[in-house]
Amino acid sequence: MQNSSGQPQTRSSIFAVIIALILFYGIGHLTPASLSNSSSPLFGLSGPSVAYAEEDEDEEDEEDEEDEEDEEDEEDEGEEGEEGAEGEEEGEDLSYLTDIGPAAEHEFSEFSLFGLSNRKFTWFAAQLHILFASFILGCPMFVVIMEVMGARRTQGVRKAIILSNVFLGVLIGVVIGITAEVIVGIHHGVLYGMWACAFGGLVVSFLNYFHKCMNVKVSGVIGAIFGTVVACALTPVETYHADGVILAVINGFVGGLLANFIMFAEADFKFERLAHEVTKVIGFCYSFTALTGGLFLFIMMVAYGDFISYLVSTFPVLFMVAYPTLFIVETIVMYAYVYSWDPLNKSNKKGRHIVLGVILNIFGLSLLCALDGPATFMQTPPLPLDQLTNISEWDRLTTATWMPLNYHRLVGNGTFGGYMVCIIGAYMYLWSEKKEEKEYYDWVGYIGNIIGVGIMLPLPAMGYIFVREIYQYDATIGMYIMSDRESMFMLVQGLLVGTMFSVSNIYMWVSMKRIENAQRFFPAMKFGFILIIIAATIWFTPRRFFATMMPEPGMDSNMVLPDNLAFLALMIAKNTAAFALVIITFVNYIFYTIATKTGKVHYGKINPLGVYCLIFLGFADIWLMSWMGTIRELSRMNWHIYKVFKDVTPEKFTPSLAESGFHVTTIVWTFFIVMTCIIWLGIKYPKSKKKAQEVSPQATPQVAE
Amino acid sequence: MQQPSFFKNLIGMFLKFLPLAVVIWLIVAWFGLPDIMRWALAGVVMVYAFLLALPSKRLAEKSFGQNIKFKLPIIIVVAGAIWVMAGKAGFPVWWQIEFVSFAFVGLAFFILLDTRALKPEKSTSSWVFRLLTTYALASGLFIAITAQLPQFDPQVEIEKLNRPPIKLSGLAGPEVIAAGREVFENNKCFNCHKVFWEGNSDRGPNLGSKQIGLYSEEYIRNQIIDPRADQAPGFEDKKSKKAMPTYYEEDLSEDEIHALVSYLKTLRDPTHMPVEGKFPNQWTWWDDPKIIAEGKVVFEGAEPATEGLNCAVCHGKDGIPMMTGALDFRNAEQHDTDKMPDQLKGVPLKEWPDALWYKRVTRGVDNTPMAPWGMIFQHLYLWKAEAYARTFHDPLDKRTEKRPVPPIPTKEDIAKWKTDELFLDPLL
Repeated sequence: MQNSSGQPQTRSSIFAVIIALILFYGIGHLTPASLSNSSSPLFGLSGPSVAYAEEDEDEEDEEDEEDEEDEEDEEDEGEEGEEGAEGEEEGEDLSYLTDIGPAAEHEFSEFSLFGLSNRKFTWFAAQLHILFASFILGCPMFVVIMEVMGARRTQGVRKAIILSNVFLGVLIGVVIGITAEVIVGIHHGVLYGMWACAFGGLVVSFLNYFHKCMNVKVSGVIGAIFGTVVACALTPVETYHADGVILAVINGFVGGLLANFIMFAEADFKFERLAHEVTKVIGFCYSFTALTGGLFLFIMMVAYGDFISYLVSTFPVLFMVAYPTLFIVETIVMYAYVYSWDPLNKSNKKGRHIVLGVILNIFGLSLLCALDGPATFMQTPPLPLDQLTNISEWDRLTTATWMPLNYHRLVGNGTFGGYMVCIIGAYMYLWSEKKEEKEYYDWVGYIGNIIGVGIMLPLPAMGYIFVREIYQYDATIGMYIMSDRESMFMLVQGLLVGTMFSVSNIYMWVSMKRIENAQRFFPAMKFGFILIIIAATIWFTPRRFFATMMPEPGMDSNMVLPDNLAFLALMIAKNTAAFALVIITFVNYIFYTIATKTGKVHYGKINPLGVYCLIFLGFADIWLMSWMGTIRELSRMNWHIYKVFKDVTPEKFTPSLAESGFHVTTIVWTFFIVMTCIIWLGIKYPKSKKKAQEVSPQATPQVAE
Repeated sequence: MQQPSFFKNLIGMFLKFLPLAVVIWLIVAWFGLPDIMRWALAGVVMVYAFLLALPSKRLAEKSFGQNIKFKLPIIIVVAGAIWVMAGKAGFPVWWQIEFVSFAFVGLAFFILLDTRALKPEKSTSSWVFRLLTTYALASGLFIAITAQLPQFDPQVEIEKLNRPPIKLSGLAGPEVIAAGREVFENNKCFNCHKVFWEGNSDRGPNLGSKQIGLYSEEYIRNQIIDPRADQAPGFEDKKSKKAMPTYYEEDLSEDEIHALVSYLKTLRDPTHMPVEGKFPNQWTWWDDPKIIAEGKVVFEGAEPATEGLNCAVCHGKDGIPMMTGALDFRNAEQHDTDKMPDQLKGVPLKEWPDALWYKRVTRGVDNTPMAPWGMIFQHLYLWKAEAYARTFHDPLDKRTEKRPVPPIPTKEDIAKWKTDELFLDPLL
């Protein structure tokens, strides 16, 4: 007995030592750039030091003094020569560094604390803010759908479902439409998709509400017909093309099917409980979004005061009226949604609560779109730039990349929310002791993964749309991302996406082991895994193994693929690889779904590896999201606003890959530490408190009609 | 209930999956993708059908030793094969390492799939440890990836950013050319245009082997500021037409454009005919009917840009020499003149290297009326005339194959052109 209990301990200590070594290696060795670039040690607080514009003044003062000295010591040739040279160097006209646009009036103070600098402080606060914001914008989208799935179909709920179906129709229609617009090249694909799916869903929901057209296939057909008619009427095209109409038919059909499915789906209380628990976490995260937003603003005012003033004054209506109004209304609706859950359930007004959820999402999405305006303005200010001050604020807001970023963040936030549900499920699984609880949270993890991966499938297409628009605006930015200093950053992105798809597949594999009769799919899945490895290899394969477009000092110029093999590094190869990853994962999901439908799922008996896979996935997704944000921000090069407001601070350069990787990891760790506390406080702690009273379900059940 | 036999199952699966394979085959064909992709995707579908028809087998969990017993040797063999095949295909060593590394990633993946289920956590410390391990693994992995991939030195970018903008007042010759090269680099022209061996992709013409420097300053300038007005041969497809941005006129200052054009004017190759077309479908001017037609105009003295040059006066309009001693282009076996100190001996006209054609025309032939035309006329036209002259012994319509595209000159080759003084000064 002693031996058997002693072995795991020994193994644990070995693992602990290995982990400690990895961390030590990571911190001490793998971040040479971050350490070498930090001028101050960890606690080296340095006060404001004046750089550039003011530095020039200092130099001028010094120069004057030196000139005076020169006059006094004319005979001292050595000194004179040296100082003369210095004088010449310092007298050099450096105004070109600051003479572009508003940066001319630049004043900059450098701060350093805990090894962080102005940029890193800003970077830290901004990304933390965006992560919390993504949570509170991403999760409510499917929380409403979950709430609908968990609500008994009372008359009020069915009325609310009409609205939620339209909301879902808009989201799905936009995603399918924009994907078709890009991949197939359908003009106004997004409009065809959105109108057809939304109106298809609306018409079918109405009919279903009155118990008409209850057959799912008939609903699909009716959705297709009505959706197509409305989409064709509302889409501003001169001539109708077959591809656009086919897209409308498909979207109308999807809208009709979904509407029917949701209207008549059997209410499952698990969904209600999941939605309610996630909402509690959203409530906490909302506060943190506001806190980190405030932190971000304060840091910007200190670190980049002149720039933030310029940006805010460029969007006076947005920042004085629209944003505060949206923010306040969103806050009110959000807390109303969170705190009215039980009271409305008790008073049998679930439908109103669902409507509140849809309204919350509408405000949330409006907020997202509103703030994407200044973000894209910084990257792609409307052309011609000399007319920037003469155009309306709306024109400044709706830049070339505004809608692509909206699509991208909409889908990205959905994925983010899905993986956060994975994290919640995994944590609560680990923190639960009862068998029923473990079963339930095992199911939550399963649902979170479905949402995360499901929404992640169109994400590459959204990214592609965004980058394509950047290329059209100014290919130099696109090249900076794809082929120059950020090319290795993009390679890391490829590796991350490959890793996420792989781990997601491992999770499915592990999950299927607890499903009876699922082993019949395993040989086919293993074949798919081989294809995934090959696809990931192609995605990773770079054109060159140096980190810039042209080799710089110290780089090996021979590390380039020869011309005849370069096709492996081209977009067509990458797109094929990405497509393969998506399709194989999708096929595995089909197997998984068939297995769950045809075999008994032993929830609560998952191999613990699956739980940690979910946590890994969540961490990887949030890391990837932060990474892509980093790439987007750095792609402006030495501009706060591309070719309008120059960054003249000492940190105008792109930091190295190692330094960026380490900083992003720090941010994600911070986010996870906070989120762990929030999940504990939001879900686990109240549960522990109520344990004595033995109230098993988290949400109060809806009152029967 | 008795399970259906494997073959019955297989036929059933094949029948189910065959329509899907056909649909995929048709879709791939519709998108115009290569044939190999069509068959590969349809094949993948049928492999899935086969694997799904296999009899269901209970999955036995394996110890680590059992798990790697077969996998490790197999992957070592596969990795070895990948290494050799990648090497034979011409992949540089770093790519060989990458492919083999991914083979071992695959090994780790498959070991993980078949590994024994973890034991449920018995205590808080157990899950805390596993949780921290997961985070440490993820962070360690991401930190390691970002730290170990190729890095750049931010200092190089800072130096570039701090450099003053290009102003040409007081600059001349090499300094302007160097400034132009900087403009070329800063605007990331290398992303689409190679310059001989330098650069990233063949999205646009290789400006070195195309010898953009042969063209007039005005032409080069127009190509920069209005690139879609005149598309380079071989780049007429829709994608290529849209590839070159049209904002350089606004983005670049007059000084920058001037410097850039000055740099591009230096991109010449005195040892090879210009090359046209998109890699790998390229050709030289020797086989370009349009160039040959233009060369005929030059050869016969009708080209306004080369007024005063008329090759036909000595060499004859139809190739019959009009002057004693003039090279007879009809005779494919003729040898280089012995009047030049660097005579190329023993090589018949049909096999003359491009460099010899170029040298004879641009530098002339000593003690003969063949003047150094390269000192007088733009070399663009001289190359065209040479392409035409060749047709006298090798008519275009009788050629069965094109002349091979010459290898891209190396850095050393280009340095040698300068030391051997193959370029004439001033460049025409």
